[in-house]
Formats: sequence, structure tokens, C-alpha cells
Amino acid sequence: MGEDAGDRGSSADGLAPVGLPMAETSPKAEAAKLLPFLALGERADLQAAAAQHVLALSGSGPGRTLLAGQAALLQALVELAVAPPPAPARDAARALVNLAADPGLHKPLLAAEPRLPVRLLGCALDPHWPWAEEAAAVLANLSREPVPCAALTEALAATEPGESGLERLVRALCTPGYNARAPLHYLGPVLSNLSQRPATRAFLLDRNRCVVQRLLTLTQYPDSSVRRGGVVGTLRNCCFEHRHHEWLLGPEVDILPFLLLPLAGPEDFSEEEMERLPIDLQYLPPDKQREPDADIRKMLIETIMLLTATAPGRKQVRDQGAYLILRELHSWEPEPDVRVTCEKLIQVLIGDEPERGLENLLEVQVPEEIERQLQQQDHQEREQCEREQQELELGPGPQAEKAAST
Amino acid sequence: MEQQDPGTTFDDGMDSFVEKFQSQPYRGGFHESQWEEVGGPGVSARACVGVVPTPGASRALRRSTAKEFEKIPLFMKNSPSEIDPLENPDLACLQSIIFDEERSPEDQARTYKDEGNDYFKEKDYKKAVISYTEGLKKKCTDPDLNAILYTNRAAAQYYLGNFRSSLNDVMAARKLRPCHLKAIIRGASCHLELKNYVEAVNWCDEGLQIDATEKKLLDLRAKADKLKRTEQRDIRKAKLKEKKKQDQNEALLQAIKARNIRLVAEAAGEDEDSASEGLSELVLYGLSSENPCGARLSVDDQGRLSWPVLFLYPEYAQSDLVSAFHEDSRFIDHLMVMFGETPSWDLEQKYCPDNLEVYFEDEDREELYCVPPSSTLLQVLQHPRYFVKALTPTFLVCVGSSGFCRNYLRGKKVHQVK
Repeated sequence: MGEDAGDRGSSADGLAPVGLPMAETSPKAEAAKLLPFLALGERADLQAAAAQHVLALSGSGPGRTLLAGQAALLQALVELAVAPPPAPARDAARALVNLAADPGLHKPLLAAEPRLPVRLLGCALDPHWPWAEEAAAVLANLSREPVPCAALTEALAATEPGESGLERLVRALCTPGYNARAPLHYLGPVLSNLSQRPATRAFLLDRNRCVVQRLLTLTQYPDSSVRRGGVVGTLRNCCFEHRHHEWLLGPEVDILPFLLLPLAGPEDFSEEEMERLPIDLQYLPPDKQREPDADIRKMLIETIMLLTATAPGRKQVRDQGAYLILRELHSWEPEPDVRVTCEKLIQVLIGDEPERGLENLLEVQVPEEIERQLQQQDHQEREQCEREQQELELGPGPQAEKAAST
Repeated sequence: MEQQDPGTTFDDGMDSFVEKFQSQPYRGGFHESQWEEVGGPGVSARACVGVVPTPGASRALRRSTAKEFEKIPLFMKNSPSEIDPLENPDLACLQSIIFDEERSPEDQARTYKDEGNDYFKEKDYKKAVISYTEGLKKKCTDPDLNAILYTNRAAAQYYLGNFRSSLNDVMAARKLRPCHLKAIIRGASCHLELKNYVEAVNWCDEGLQIDATEKKLLDLRAKADKLKRTEQRDIRKAKLKEKKKQDQNEALLQAIKARNIRLVAEAAGEDEDSASEGLSELVLYGLSSENPCGARLSVDDQGRLSWPVLFLYPEYAQSDLVSAFHEDSRFIDHLMVMFGETPSWDLEQKYCPDNLEVYFEDEDREELYCVPPSSTLLQVLQHPRYFVKALTPTFLVCVGSSGFCRNYLRGKKVHQVK
């Protein structure tokens, strides 16, 4: 809109916020003028309007930078985001979601309100808080970076008597109807980010409890790819713990069927082939759909790949009939990079056992020369995939689903 | 407290009672004439009375007085299941003290609980249930005690196999004490036995919220989850099988329709008109009902049908069933195999393939049709006057030149099928 002649300051393009009457003054001053209206205890309608302005600002890069420079404004925003009605908590939270999406803004955010993770956690896990999903989304964005992730882990570790914070998070994620007004799908990515830390994985993989087992059915959760992706990401991170592979693949957890199920389609296997599959994959109905999100499919394959790192793990994965499912997936898979990942896994399953010293692929020392070669191969493969991808996009028409439809 | 004259202290009766001992001998003790001997032969009763027993004798003493001792409550090894106040007044007296109605409901309930627990330890679950029930009847005001009574009764019911009753009891227990872990474990076990796997898992999860490391709940949950998934697989399998069967039946129905073959219901006396109605019903009914010999209409990969075909030999009241007569095969092919050797009932040894004539009967018009043995089954089935009954084509066979055949055909209208 109008470019101001006045103070350029920190905002590079100087775009004036849309809709504000005073278009002549600097954006920084504009933003500062909003501050009094954001204060708690202000008139609700003024608060709401101010919050909407902030939300609009947060929608653009320059707007975000502008907001980030205003510590007092950020503080007020956080206060609004956790305030009870009639405060415009939802818009304030959504503004925070946008701000937190930019990793460069985490520092000013946390500087303005160091207790931001704790307070948002309280909202996200409060069964009666209507904007819990928005709070979870902010945490999902924040926890992608190590510093806020550490802060969040600490907040969770501050145990109330009885249930630990992590346990409550898992329960909120796994219990349908935990919060009647918010679906809490974004707790999935939150958990996934948290599972990058060993302490979280240790909790999830505690054999004396039932934690990871409760996440397994969520790989098939139909209503949200955000939740599914978060859960699969969590499982993948957990599978880096190769000491737990045997337990994970064994009857107490039985993780493999839940990883294969989203990859399986309505295959008509013979009776003999069917009996070789895990129980959950037998006699799937003709309308069985595969996981629609390609990224999630890739993560699932990667997770299974991790489980094949050790020789006993490979054996278990082979014995449980993974090959059959992956074979069918490979012939169906439309995305090139997912197909390549699938191929690699099939290779591991049907290939010969590696020589001594290579039994745990996660611990093998790769000589420099070979590492360089492999990276080069990887690079070439990726280029090839991208080329194929482009061809697909420029091609004559959308690629038809091979899955038969009635 | 006022001083009383020592001479008239509390109970005059007591003094006179005590005095009696000085004059009267104790009659409640063992006496040789009252003994029931249980011990071995040669024990002299006389030798035991009033004398310090020698070691050998004391063994005999113990053996022979065992029964007498058993009657004294203090020395009883097992409590009798029924207490007869006349037979055993001491025991009845003790019991009335324990179960005295004047004690508080809580005390009484507690006593019943203990009694139930004792029965439970002896695996006498029926009696345990009764005891716990009596305890609950006292309606004492202690919710913990009542919750325990319910939970314990639930356990006894569980071991009696009454899973529904057990479940009702734990639910009552949880109403009083929602976090009673034993009740939750028992409830989950009941659901497992009742095959309510989803409920079992839910109860386990509730219990694990109270104690996240309770091993019994972890094991139950894993078991219930696995059984649930197996049950789901079984349902899928059955569904698929049913679908396959339906598809097969549909294919057979279409094949029959396409060939214009006429079917007729099993019951005799059905007229022609009803044969046309409900072709699919007839086929499906015929396919679903078991042919007495287990043979069934089927279709092969090329879409060709094979029928179970009944051959009747009226001359000797015999029959043969060809379980899968391919519709493109000829009668003569089958007859060659069936009569490769003359059958045992063929007294005149005349049933050779070359001599045989095949007929079918038009029951409605009571007319016979002679079928050239070189025809295929399909050709005959498609004859406008051929009606397949109960999905099993039937044909009559006799030796053309024989006297029987001539007799059989006399008086009947016979057509030749081309």
C-alpha cells in the first residue's frame, strides 16, 4: 500500500498494516499504538479488533519481523492467548502460531515471555480450554527448534503429583474426546518433536508401562494427516533406539503391523500368502485405502528400514511378511522418491545377510571414500527423482490411481 | 462407687456355683465308658484311666481319644460345616457370640468378610459368595468395607465362571470406590472372558491411569488387544468368504439363465407357471440346500457348468449319481465308464453301453423323451420340455431291447429327441 516517507527503521518494505486509519505514520508506531488495546481488562470489542490486526500482521514476513521487535506487544499477545472469554484468545493464539512458524522469531518470543512454553502447555492439555488446538499448534512450531524444545521438555518434566506431563500429553493425544471442543491433532507433531530428545524416547519406550502401544492405532487415524504424521514421526524417532528393536517387533508391542497397515492396499493374496501376513493385514476389504500423504508413506518405510538395522530385526521383519506388502506398494506407488525408498527396503529384505561386523547397520563405521561415493549416489538419485517429479507435473494429465474403484 | 457389704457381693449364685466343685465331681471329662475307640486292637481302656501314661501307651491314648478330642471346640482341627446345637452346644454357643445380632453392622459385615475369605482360601467359592452376600446384607455404612465385599464376591464369582455376576459386582464396587484397582483388574478379566475386548482394553487403560506400571493390567491389555485384532481378522475372513460364495452363486445363476434352462421347485405337484417365477430363488435355494450326496452344481474357469446327474434304473430299482457331469460331455462317455463292467444288480448281464437307452420324463404331461446317447448334457437340458428338479437332472436308463423296457414304455407317449 502506501509507502511512508518517515522512519524506515527495522521494517524493510514498510508495508502499512491493512485497514488501520492512520496510514501516514510508521509501521512501528502503528504497532505500538495497538498495544494499549491489547491489554487485559480493555473493552472486549477493542481487544478483538486489535487482535485481528495483529493476526493480519503476523500473516506476512515483514509484519512478523515488525511484531518481533515489540517485546511489550508480544507479552500482551501471550496474555491474551491464555485469557478466558471474552478475550480474543483464539486470534491471539493464531497470531502466535504464525510468529512461531518462523524459527528466527523464537528468540524474541521467548525473550518477551520465557514462560511461553509452560503457559501454552497448560492450555493445550486443559480438557476444557476451547483453543487448545491453537495452543498445541504454537508448541508444534516452537518445538521444532532445540531451545524451545528443551524448554518444553523441562515444562513437562515438572511433575505434578501422580501423572507426569508427558503421560498427560500422550493421554490427551490417545483419548478420543479428551477435549470436547478441540481435536488436538497438533499434539502429534509436538510429540514427534519432543521424541528427538532421548528422555522422551526413554519414556515412550518404557517396558514397565503401556505408552508406545497406545500410539500404534493412531497410524490409521482417518481424520487428520497432521496427527498421523506426528505419530509416525514419533515412532520413527523411537526406532533409532536399536536396543529396543526386539521388544518393539515382539508380541508386547507388535509395531510392524501398524507400520505396514497404512501401506497396504486391497490386495488379493492367495490363501497361503495371506497366512504369512500379520493378523492385522489379513483379508483386508476391497475398499482398503493406502495412506494418502506421500511424506507419511515415506516416513513409514523409513521406520521399517530402521527396524532392519540389526540381524534379528531383519529376520523378524522378514518373517512377518513385510516383503509381500512392500512388493504391492512398489507397483502402486506414484511418487518417485517414495518408490526409491521402498526399493531400498525391499533390497534389504531380499538381499543376502551382510558379513560379520556389519550386523548393526546403525553402528557401522563407513570409510570416508565410500561415504563420499554414497553421498554422490544419493545426490544423483535425488536429482533423478526431481526430474521425474517435474515430468509428472508437466505431463499430459494427473496420474491415475492404479487402485481399482467400483 | 459405693461400698458393698462383702457378704452380699455381686452374685450370690456364683458362690453356690463354686461351692459345688467341692462336693460334686466334674462330669464333663473323659470317661472310659463314654469313649469311642479309634485306635488299634489290644488297647486296654482300663490302663489309660487316671494313670500317667507310658510312652507307648500315650500313643495309644492319643489314637483312641482323637474322636473325643474332636468334639471339644478348642481341639477341633476342622470346623464342621453344620453346627447342631444339640450335638455340640459349645460350638453353637461360640458361633452365636461371633454372629451376635447385637454387634454393629460393620463388625458383623467384617466377620462375614473374614468368613468369606476363609472359604475363598479353601477354594469353596460357593460358600464364599454366600458369606460375602450376608456381609453386604448388613448394609453397613463403611464404603471401603462394602467395596471390598463386592470385589471379593466378584472374585469368587469369577472362579465359579459367573462372569456376568462378577462384572456386576465390580461395577458396584467401583460405584463406591472408583479407583479400587483390584476391582478394575477383575472387571477387565471379566470382559476378557466375555469376549468384550474393547471394554477390556478400556478398563485396563483406566486402571493404568491409577497405576501405570501394574503388571497384571499391562498383561491383560496386551492379551485383550491381540484377541480383539484376531477377532477382527476372523470377521474379515468370514465376510470375504461369504462374498466369494455369493459371487459364485451369482455366476451360476447367470450361467443357468444364459442357457435358458428351465428349473422346477422340489415339491411335487408344482405347476408349470410357478416354475418361471423366482428363478434366482430356486437356484439360490438349490445351491444352499445340501444335496443328499453332497454333489453340487459348479462352474469351471472357462465358464462351463458341471451338474450332479442322477441315473435311475427302473428295472432293478437302482440308481447312480454322477457328481460332476460336464455339460459338454456326452451321455455315452459316461455310460461307457459307468457300465465298463456290468453292475452287480444286472442279473441278466445285459446293461452294456451299446444296449442302453436313456429317457427323461416330462412329469407334467406324463410323456417320455428318448435321448440319443451321443447328445451332450447341455443339449438335453435345453430341451423345451426338460425341467431340472432340485438342480439335479435325472434320467431313466434301461436296455432298449429288453422285455422290461417294452413293458415300461407301453401305453406311454414317447418322443425322440433329435
